[in-house]
Amino acid sequence: MEINVLVVDDSSVMRAMISKTMGLSGLPLGKIYQAANGQEGLEVLSGHWIDLIIVDINMPVMNGEEMIDRVRANPELKDISIIIISTEGSDARIDRLRRKGAAFIHKPFTPETIRDTVKDIMNLGGSDAGTD
Amino acid sequence: MRERIDHILSRVTEAIFEKLAFMFSFPEEGFEPEIEPSAAEPPVVTEVFFEGPFSGRLVMSLSPRLLPELAGNMLGADDNEATTPDQRYDALKELINVVCGNLLPEIAGKQAIFNVGTPKIIEPEGAAPAAEETLLGDTALLVEDEKCELRLYGIGGIPDRFFQTDSGADASDAF
Ligand SMILES: [Mg+2]
Repeated sequence: MEINVLVVDDSSVMRAMISKTMGLSGLPLGKIYQAANGQEGLEVLSGHWIDLIIVDINMPVMNGEEMIDRVRANPELKDISIIIISTEGSDARIDRLRRKGAAFIHKPFTPETIRDTVKDIMNLGGSDAGTD
Repeated sequence: MRERIDHILSRVTEAIFEKLAFMFSFPEEGFEPEIEPSAAEPPVVTEVFFEGPFSGRLVMSLSPRLLPELAGNMLGADDNEATTPDQRYDALKELINVVCGNLLPEIAGKQAIFNVGTPKIIEPEGAAPAAEETLLGDTALLVEDEKCELRLYGIGGIPDRFFQTDSGADASDAF
């Protein structure tokens, strides 16, 4: 199975960092799409098959939380895997986002954190932890 | 108490430069942040506003000579000089976004909820406080031998509890 990924962040440099990290992760990737805010992200989702959304929270036009709410409310999209990558530091807000069925990665991140979180959330090769 | 905020500002900024862009820095002893921008080589200045248990603005002023390396390292570029002006400004805006997001919980605790705005690049004069702003903390770092200054301004009432030292130590013994 190849994973099609949508990376949503208002920073083009951050989108490039995340895309590059995904590319180097050794994960079975299909296409990587990019969007600069939640609204653009929803437009990509309406036209392309996406298996995994990696989304920032703080964005103009439509923030990541609203985008997640729209995805979860859409019968055709509601089961897509979601990882939030954000600077959010409030425990209460992170809990609230996790309850929407999203994994959370704090910025700044390491490549390993992204790889391991993707493996975990996509149920990919789960048993090799700690062997190298 | 200013010392606590100054210290958090230095520590968080150093850590973010290192983790986000593999750039190393240290506090510059005895060099005070300048409010007057130098005409000879104006700094690049970025700001971000935030609202929460206290509200205000974080401002970062740094030497433009840092931008190619900042953008190049974040992008994993082979040639830092090949990065575009847009990429360099975007890298700087994401840097202050990450610094601000990590800074506020250090000051106000992990229960506090802040809304952080969209970072902007501004004119050097914009680093000085606006009439309604109070300086809460500042710091100056040398990043890869270039100057980087941060200022945290508060707007409106600032709860005292965020500005007391934990230990009650004499502020004058801080480095
Ligand atoms: Mg953002």
